[in-house]
Amino acid sequence: MWKYLFMRLLQIPPVLFIVTIMIFVLVYIAGDPVATMLPADASPEEIAQFRHALGFDQPFYVQFGNYILDLIRGDFGESYQYGTSALGLVLERLPATLELATASMVIAILIAIPLGIISAVKPNTVIDFFATSFSVLGKAIPNFWLGIMLILVFSVTLKVLPVSGTGSYAHIVLPAITLGTAMSAEITRLVRSSMLEILHQDYIRTARSKGLKYSAVVIKHAFKNSLVPVITITFLQAAALVGGSLITEMIFAWPGLGQLIIQAVYAKDLPIIQAAVFVTASMIIFINILTDIMYRVLDPRIKFI
Amino acid sequence: MTKMLEVVNLKTHFYTDKEIIPSVDGVSFTIDKGQTTAIVGESGCGKSVTSYSIMRLVDSPGKIVDGEVIFEGKDLTKISEKEMRSIRGNDISMIFQEPLSSLNPVVKIGKQLNETLILHQKLTKKMAKQRSIEMLNKVGLPRADKIYESYPHELSGGMRQRVMIAMALACSPKLLIADEPTTALDVTIQAQILKLMKGLRDDFDTSILLITHDLGVVAEIADKVIVMYSGQVVEEADVFSLFANPRHPYTKGLLNSTPHLDDEKDDLEPIKGNVPSPANRPTGCSFHPRCPYVKAICRQESPNLTSLGDSNKVRCWLYEENQEELFYAENIGR
Repeated sequence: MWKYLFMRLLQIPPVLFIVTIMIFVLVYIAGDPVATMLPADASPEEIAQFRHALGFDQPFYVQFGNYILDLIRGDFGESYQYGTSALGLVLERLPATLELATASMVIAILIAIPLGIISAVKPNTVIDFFATSFSVLGKAIPNFWLGIMLILVFSVTLKVLPVSGTGSYAHIVLPAITLGTAMSAEITRLVRSSMLEILHQDYIRTARSKGLKYSAVVIKHAFKNSLVPVITITFLQAAALVGGSLITEMIFAWPGLGQLIIQAVYAKDLPIIQAAVFVTASMIIFINILTDIMYRVLDPRIKFI
Repeated sequence: MTKMLEVVNLKTHFYTDKEIIPSVDGVSFTIDKGQTTAIVGESGCGKSVTSYSIMRLVDSPGKIVDGEVIFEGKDLTKISEKEMRSIRGNDISMIFQEPLSSLNPVVKIGKQLNETLILHQKLTKKMAKQRSIEMLNKVGLPRADKIYESYPHELSGGMRQRVMIAMALACSPKLLIADEPTTALDVTIQAQILKLMKGLRDDFDTSILLITHDLGVVAEIADKVIVMYSGQVVEEADVFSLFANPRHPYTKGLLNSTPHLDDEKDDLEPIKGNVPSPANRPTGCSFHPRCPYVKAICRQESPNLTSLGDSNKVRCWLYEENQEELFYAENIGR
């Protein structure tokens, strides 16, 4: 296990290096941001001077070399908008995003696992029909629509929850439901299908032949077996959330990474974009390693190599 | 001999969208205390469904539609699910054909063994562990405490089947149902497992209901044999008369299609044709399309299971029509 973990950790630097190259190249291709940063009536001399100050007049390899050297020092440069460290700004926003991601995951899991299990245990019944409809709807409804509808119902009409922003636990409820719904739809479907398959396995019959209650058979014997695919998908979904959910954070004015990234894109604030992508990539790599470890723990047949 | 279990006119049908499949169609037999009763037959003859029906483990769309399963004065088809659970794994337990897929892959052997003991015998975890390791030793597994901590995939096929047997016998059941326990194992391991089952049957005074298609296994372990064909019992006999003097044409066919070492013939004689699909059985005797002795009546009417004077029974017009004459021909005329 420790050897496996060590090997996996060794893989991180090369992956991150490739990610940084890709970020740099993509941003380079997108063109320099000087034109949008200066007023429309700026003179060519002013533009040239500004380009020189930011280093955009240098050849590609020099720019790239500087970028890598800065990166090794953990320096993504200063935000063009705020004039402070880009990485610092990103890290400042990260907790809010993680908080929202965690809350949505919790909501998704709390809904999906019981619903998936029940609909697998009682297939083709009313509750199964409800669960299946929920998964289809949950997947089909776009986040922006659901978010706005939730605001309309719970904030505007019923006035029980705040419209947007942060500050209390109540603030996180609506954005977390918005994000959690689609996730739980996906997970419900997966729990249902994997449980349905497992409930027909021979070892379920063995467990029943021992005289166990059906509920004990389902929870102790079937559910544990269904966890591997479920954990994989759940963590993949979580990985998608840590980059910040652009739309949901915008709708609810949630001060997370997603909002920061969108503003940075509008302003062509390259250092922030680079730092945000770098941080997100690191988080996703970390979650992937965690997933691998999780299912090796859950299924003893998967060996640490 | 005291009866352990009595199955009376058991009918288990499967309800699909299109048709009703009578997998088990009026099966009756008894299992005596301390004896091994074998049910033999080809795939699809309903022998496994019969055993699941006894345990009430038939999954939907299957359903027991008629008949009784009398165990200790109680009809198992009528008692509540809760009562049935207290019998499963405790008074009647079961081992299955495929020992790998029959053990939960993500649960340690020890935990799977303890489960039954904690449930039925109300042992503490510590006592259950002690008893489980004792059982693992009893079924001939070396280093039982290590196996206790293992996962099923870490054991070989024979070891897994030994674990299944240990699990099934943990609560000293009165009846052990073994559904093709040796089919998935290679021949040397088969012999070991059969020997183990015989030994444990005597130690624990457990009756065994053995489901198999292997006549070699039957000869090895059974006292009484029930031959099933197409959802019905076609012959019931003690193991010696079955091999020495098979009555039903199907049983004769089965024996002829088994290789013998001392036989001079090079070719086996398979039974011609296939087992009819349970949804679409022929009229009359369901064996008549394959039967070499077929008569007019066989095509029209189904024969009854007739007693042949001794404890043996057969379902065939050959024996029903002129029983006395045939009996004479068989026993004196030779």
